[in-house]
Order: sequence, then C-alpha cells, then structure tokens
Amino acid sequence: MITIDNLVKRRGSAKILSGVSFRARPGRVTGLLGPNGAGKSSTLRILLGLDRATSGTALIGSVPFVKLRDPLATVGAMLDGSGAHRARTGRAHLRWVARSAGLPRARVDEVLEIVGLTNAASKRVGGYSLGMGRRLGLATALLGDPEILVLDEPVNGLDPDGIRWIRTLLRERAASGRTVLLSSHLMGELAATVDDVVVVNEGKVVADGTLDEVTGPYGTLEDAFFALTTGGAP
Amino acid sequence: MTVPQTTRTRGQEGARALAAELSKLVSLPATWLTLGGTLVVNLILAIAFTIAGLRGSTGTGSAPDIGLASIGYAQAGFVVLGVLAACSEYTGGQIRTTLTAMPRRALQFTAKHVALAIVVLPAAAITAASGVVLAAGVLGDAAAPVTSGRVAGALSGVTAYLALTTLISAAVGALARQTLAAVVVLLGYLFIAGPLLRDHVSAAKYLPDSAGVAMWFPPAGDAGAVTPVRGALLLMAWTAALMAVVVLGYRRWDM
Repeated sequence: MITIDNLVKRRGSAKILSGVSFRARPGRVTGLLGPNGAGKSSTLRILLGLDRATSGTALIGSVPFVKLRDPLATVGAMLDGSGAHRARTGRAHLRWVARSAGLPRARVDEVLEIVGLTNAASKRVGGYSLGMGRRLGLATALLGDPEILVLDEPVNGLDPDGIRWIRTLLRERAASGRTVLLSSHLMGELAATVDDVVVVNEGKVVADGTLDEVTGPYGTLEDAFFALTTGGAP
Repeated sequence: MTVPQTTRTRGQEGARALAAELSKLVSLPATWLTLGGTLVVNLILAIAFTIAGLRGSTGTGSAPDIGLASIGYAQAGFVVLGVLAACSEYTGGQIRTTLTAMPRRALQFTAKHVALAIVVLPAAAITAASGVVLAAGVLGDAAAPVTSGRVAGALSGVTAYLALTTLISAAVGALARQTLAAVVVLLGYLFIAGPLLRDHVSAAKYLPDSAGVAMWFPPAGDAGAVTPVRGALLLMAWTAALMAVVVLGYRRWDM
C-alpha cells in the first residue's frame, strides 16, 4: 500500500503541490492522471525520496521510502528517461544496480529477457531508441521483483506493441496481488490498464476513485479528464 | 525468479553499495580513457623533463626529482577523473536510479568516494612510478644519487596526493553537478589561484595544493615549511572537511 497524505511542495515562490492525498492499493493498478506540470512527477519523486516535501508524508507500507531496509526488492521505480548513463551498455547498467541489492548476475539476464532487450544488452544505452530506454528503465524496476511498482509515464515513447506489452505486464502484477502506481497524461492508453484513477491538476487532486466512479457521468475517461482539468461541466 | 528474500544488515548494505559504485566506475569508458590518457601524457612530459634535465646547466637532478616533475601537470587528469565520477551521475537521469537503489545518501556518497579511492590508488602509483622509472632509465649514472628510502617516500607521497586530489575533485563535482564548471574551478585553483596565493600569502602553504606538494617535494632549508607528514595530514583534513560539507547538501537536495 502506498499512502500519500497532504503533500505540499513549494519551490521558491511556486507552489508545485498543494495538499495531495491518495492511496494506491495492493492488487490494483492506480493511475495518476493529469496534464503536464500538474504535479504527477513531483508526487512520485517525493514518494521515492528524491525530492523533499515542504510538508505532508508519502509512505510505502508504514515507512518513508528512504527508511526501507531493502528498497530494490520493495519498490521498483522508473522515472523519466532510461535512468542509465549513455556510455554504459544496458547489461552493465543493470549489473551495478543488481550489485547494490546483492542480486545475482543471472537476475540481470532474466529481466533483460522479460523486457525484450536481450539482443541489445551489449549495446551502449546512447544507441537505444526512446522505447528501448523505457524498456531498460522497466528492467531496472523489475530487478528486485518488488511488491510495488512506481512508474512515471511508462507508455511514453513505446510503440503500440510496447504499450500492449506493458499493459499486460502491469495487469499481471496487479492480478498477483502487487501494487502498481503509474502516472500518465495519455488517457486512451490508460483506460484499459488502470483500476483506480487519481486526477491531479495544478497541484491538487480533483478526482479520486475507481475507473467507473471517475469516468461515471462523462462517458469516457478522456472526457472526464478534460472536464476535470479544464473546469468544464459533465 | 531467482531473487533471494533476505533482510540485510547495515554492514551488508555498505558492502553492496561499495560493490555497486565500483561496478559503475569500472564500467564507465571515461574512467579508463582518462586514466590511460593521463599515463600517456605523463610519460611524454617525463621524457621532456628528462631531456631538459640532461641538458641542464645546473647539473643533473635525481631520478625522482626529474621523473615526478610532470605530476604537477598530470594531476589535471586525476581532477577530471574525480569530477567525471561525480558528474556522470547526472547523465541520463542516472542519479535517480542511484538514489532509488541506495536511498541512504550519506552511505552512497561515502561508498562512491571509497570506490574511487580503490580505483585511483593503483592508477596513481603506476603514473607516479612511470615517470621515475623512465627518468632513471634514461639518466642512468648521470642522475644525482638518491637513497631508495627517498624514492619510496616521494612515490608514496605523490600517490597519496593524487588520490586525495581525485577525492576532492569528486566532492567538488558533486557540489557543482556539472562537469565543465567543476573542472574549470578546480584547474583554475590548481594552476592559477593556488600558485598566485603561494607567492603572496604565507598562510597559503596550508591550502590543499601547497600542503599536497609538500608531501613529495618538501621545500628544503625553510624552518617554517610544511613537512611531508604534516602535508599529508593537512590534505586529508581538507578532503574530509570538504566531503563532510558537500554531503550535508547532498542529503537534502532535490534530485
């Protein structure tokens, strides 16, 4: 369970988040939706201990991320880009991450296989396409076979095949009782993937519920999204 | 799945962080390019200094004096290595992978610097010895005689100096988070500001560069000079202080 409680983030005079609260539950895929600049990435970065909140808490189970005893085996994270240095090979990148958690080398080959990068594993990350970079990011997130996945814009840069593949993967994770939290500004891609929806706009949660609850009166998730984020009526 | 379910201890966490940081350093091509390039440049400079030494009108110096003269320039390579080790984290968003894998930042920061020291110590020793061996080989009997104790002292002084300079550079790199800015500041200090201060301010002998040079070229016949041991202690203190200051910020910054 991920519990976000009243997060406030100020940067200089700008208020990035003004009291964001929601939960992401086990066995479900939770979609954090909002336009660019709504505060999705900031929320995820605070959750992962990369940014500090001005106030409020973000907990994994009952502890903040930075207090986790075994972070890689608890939370798999993917943020923007590949998260890898362009001069390293994909395999070398995964190897150092695996070492940080004491994982065996064989696990690196397993995740390369899962994300379909086995043939590109010896290529430098600088030569990867956007989609391959996302796959490498996902491989990194899956290394520790974590209970929880936190993914920032996972379908960005993926081709239709890739989107279908990641959807299946995330549904399987949720079906086995794990927690998936992802952010996106792409509504169509998300409607078929998520169980729960949290819509954020200008640093505030404007809707929070199951996919049906949030879509409800608007007909489609996309219509709901635009109505909620531009102030239109249902 | 082959993921073992283990609960790790603090010591294990530190050992794994060190293994990860070592793996990062050795898998970065820039590490080997910088170290290799530095060795080659150092040898070329050492040849030049040795030839100049042979033609010198004031008589030929000893092999360590001539063979280590190039280190003053070759240290730039170690500065670059330290900065790259720190700043390469900010390429491709790697820092976010690093800090989600190793969220306890002070521990990760320490592991990174220990890993850097482990890689740099042998490289610094090889670089330092290369110039001295070359000078000794070329000069032969023409070199001023020197005790093996003096050679060993100078070599270990240079090795420690280069390693500490690399750590200082990594800390400055972590502070600047930008390769070019950090390299310019460090080289500007080592090659311009440092020498100027040394000539005009007597207290400058306690600054990192002068204290460091005293580790292998103790100024002769100056009662107030910094001895090699004191120089080493001073430079270690500077390194530890700088790392401590940087880690205070590093623990709090938004990445």
